[in-house]
Amino acid sequence: MNFLAPIWLGLIAAVAVPLFLHLLRRRIDIRREFPAARYLLRAEKENVRRLKLRNMLLMLLRTLALLFLALAAARPIAALLGSGHVPTALVVVVDNTMSTGAIVDGSPLLSRLKTVAQSVVSGAESNDQTWLVTADRAVTGGARNAVLDAIDRVEPLGGRGDLTGAITHAAGVALAAGLSTSTVVVLTDGQASQWPGDISLGGVRVVAYAPTGVAPYNRAVTMAEPRPARWSPKGTLLVGASGADSVTYRVTLGGRTTARGLLRGSDEQVVRLEPSERGWVAGAVDLAPDELRGDDERYFAVWVGDAPAVNVLPGAGLFVREAVDALVQSTLVTRGPGIEIAAVDEVTRLPALLIAPADPVRMGAANRNLERLGIPWRLGEVRRDETIARGEDVEGTPVRVRYPLRMSTGGAAPSDTLATASGEPWIVAGSGYVLVGSAMSAEASSLPVRAPFLPWLSSMLSEHLTSEGSSLLRAEPGAPIRLPAGITGFEGDSQVLAVGSQPTAPTRAGVYFLRRGDDRVGALVVNPEREESRLDRLSATELKGRLRADDVIIATDPADIPRHAFDASAQRPLQALLLLLALACLVGEMMIVRQAEPQGLRRAA
Amino acid sequence: MPPTTGAPPTRADLIDPASLASLGRIEIIARWVVDGFLSGLHRSPRKGFSVEFAEFRPYQTGDDLRFIDWRVVARSDKWMVKQFEEETNTRAALVLDVSKSMDWSGSPERLTKLRYAEQVVAAIALLLIRQRDAVGLVRYDDRLRTVLPARARTMQWRRIVRSLEEPGAGSDSRMAEGVQQAAKLIRRPGIVILLSDLLVDQDQMEQSLRVARAAGHQVTVLHIMDPSELELDSRGEAIFYDPESTLEVTATVSDVRRAYSATVMHAIEEWRQRLAALGAGYEVIRTDSPFGVPLRRAFATRQRLP
Repeated sequence: MNFLAPIWLGLIAAVAVPLFLHLLRRRIDIRREFPAARYLLRAEKENVRRLKLRNMLLMLLRTLALLFLALAAARPIAALLGSGHVPTALVVVVDNTMSTGAIVDGSPLLSRLKTVAQSVVSGAESNDQTWLVTADRAVTGGARNAVLDAIDRVEPLGGRGDLTGAITHAAGVALAAGLSTSTVVVLTDGQASQWPGDISLGGVRVVAYAPTGVAPYNRAVTMAEPRPARWSPKGTLLVGASGADSVTYRVTLGGRTTARGLLRGSDEQVVRLEPSERGWVAGAVDLAPDELRGDDERYFAVWVGDAPAVNVLPGAGLFVREAVDALVQSTLVTRGPGIEIAAVDEVTRLPALLIAPADPVRMGAANRNLERLGIPWRLGEVRRDETIARGEDVEGTPVRVRYPLRMSTGGAAPSDTLATASGEPWIVAGSGYVLVGSAMSAEASSLPVRAPFLPWLSSMLSEHLTSEGSSLLRAEPGAPIRLPAGITGFEGDSQVLAVGSQPTAPTRAGVYFLRRGDDRVGALVVNPEREESRLDRLSATELKGRLRADDVIIATDPADIPRHAFDASAQRPLQALLLLLALACLVGEMMIVRQAEPQGLRRAA
Repeated sequence: MPPTTGAPPTRADLIDPASLASLGRIEIIARWVVDGFLSGLHRSPRKGFSVEFAEFRPYQTGDDLRFIDWRVVARSDKWMVKQFEEETNTRAALVLDVSKSMDWSGSPERLTKLRYAEQVVAAIALLLIRQRDAVGLVRYDDRLRTVLPARARTMQWRRIVRSLEEPGAGSDSRMAEGVQQAAKLIRRPGIVILLSDLLVDQDQMEQSLRVARAAGHQVTVLHIMDPSELELDSRGEAIFYDPESTLEVTATVSDVRRAYSATVMHAIEEWRQRLAALGAGYEVIRTDSPFGVPLRRAFATRQRLP
């Protein structure tokens, strides 16, 4: 037996009062003349045993009544007849990440998790508090029926969610309730990729469900990447899938099937496409359905339009001129007065790809030109130490001669560092410009002589230096995103979703066009995380090892979960019972006392 | 008749004794009681004792119609009843316990046992004297306080009433002496009516009554009890003491109430059996009973005489 308010156990000392009164030989001051005293004496003598028994019974009942009242004040809890439990703050975490949408034994695993969750919550009593937390950290609390309804409405997320964050949050909610027992019930598919490390949950009980058996075999589209992001109008799509066996795929663009193919194992394929649509176009790569439908389709978006016009000035260097020739031949760019590609000190206007001069003597002119163009970056003193570049498309490129790029004082225009060398900015981009800190020569860096140079250049021209098609965002379902200024909503599934103050990606995978008023100004591509497609599970032991809490119970049979949710606390308040017992004692005492009182005397009283 | 407030009963023998006693002196109350008692009788008790005519007297309510002299009625238009000599021959002795235990009441709203018994004595005496019976009185406590030989005259009743006002309340009950004295007062077999709370030694009392019975007297014991003596109606814990002895009993009323009632009932039953074995009448009279009750008991005794 435990006590929720043990301080009141001090009241037990009150039981000494009837004992004391019973044992005390009290001084009686009242004297009454009574001629028939001889009968009284005779009555006492003849009934001495009965009177003693009656007095003992009265003392016992009074003592017990006080004892029960004192115990009731201390709010005891104990196991009683195997039913009931102490007031429990119960938080049920339902793992509704994409992987729980997998069909297992003929039905989605999430449906079974929901059924278990409902039976757990149904076991709650009026003294309990219940909440539902889903993998997107959404919390529903309140009346039991409200929680049951919320469980019924749970749908699988479009992606990985944040299960560990949800569990940690659930533990906080349970502990904050301040009830005698805090229990977190975790209903999950035990997907290994969801449990990268241990979760510390403090002083809560954790009851977790770990499904047994082999995870269902799953194939997923892992790659649907348009290259470049802006098609003019030709482009390529890099397609990839997971799984050991061959699988057919289909590419849809603008709602129409534009290509089909066969992927072997985990190979990637490049699919060349030339859509007839213009502007922002949504596309998808899908596979034949398997047990997990959520990752059988992967979305992409591309801007289709005219190739950007490029004007290469002499200072850009030989490698750049030849690369642009190749891009022109591939119709990815055209020649014209659009984008200037030149040495920094040669550039006359923006947009421009600015390349550091080969001769350090030109550094002063170059910096003056940067200032004139309104670019906040400046070329620092030339460095001739060989280093390795870090950044997309240029990762691992050796850099031998470079001008460290420094932000000028007062420069406040937003810009991105696309690559670094020795931790210092090497390639930066801003509104209408891309600035490279080395000359495009083999002496300065290996960039112009490496294979990725052409895609890099194409990407710079089509994504950073062209206003159309540059606003392409990628995000996981529900993840926070940073939107370009002026975006008013997402357009997807024939409806426009409003943008909140802290925008997050929609929880369903798909392509959502960015709206600025009535105009489509970009696209947000939401795809599940690739690791969410790996369904391999943790064993019960491994799962138990991940959960750090006071008491962790792992159940492999879902039917055991409702029992375990309250099992360790299979105790219930005894307050009402003790009050009833005290009342019964008092009633018994009153009956014994009243039995000796004639009815007329009771009425007079 | 005593004034009443309109609610029945109107006969004095049926009215609450305490209320009635507050209305006047003992002789007045006794007259009201006896008048009321007689008016309630349907049959005269003076039937068949003797055939020797003595005198006429006016008809009273309750007289047997067989003793109305119809010739006198026809001649004088007055209802007259024939009186017989033998009716005056019954002799009665009233024995009253005036010890301290009798001078007690469980409630100020009730008469003390002594006051109640005195009213009863006065009424019985008046009733008997009106029937031409000779009545004597013996009062005792720790000694004989009053001994009035039996007389049938009207003045005898006044003497009895005066005697009742004499002091008493001694700290003992010499009942045996009182009963024996009463038995001596009446030479022929008569009536001995004892009024007492019987808080005495049973064996001694039995012995004295045996003597009275041996003398041929009809003995009736009216056991006067306060209702609080029959059932403890107080509360709490107290020391209960006997005014006539040093006996003190500490008791919690609620604890002993039931046992006490049982003990009293047992004692009453004991008295009843002992006195029945002696051929003596025994009645328990509560002090909240109307005076008609003890009167009827005594009257019944009178009727049983041959």
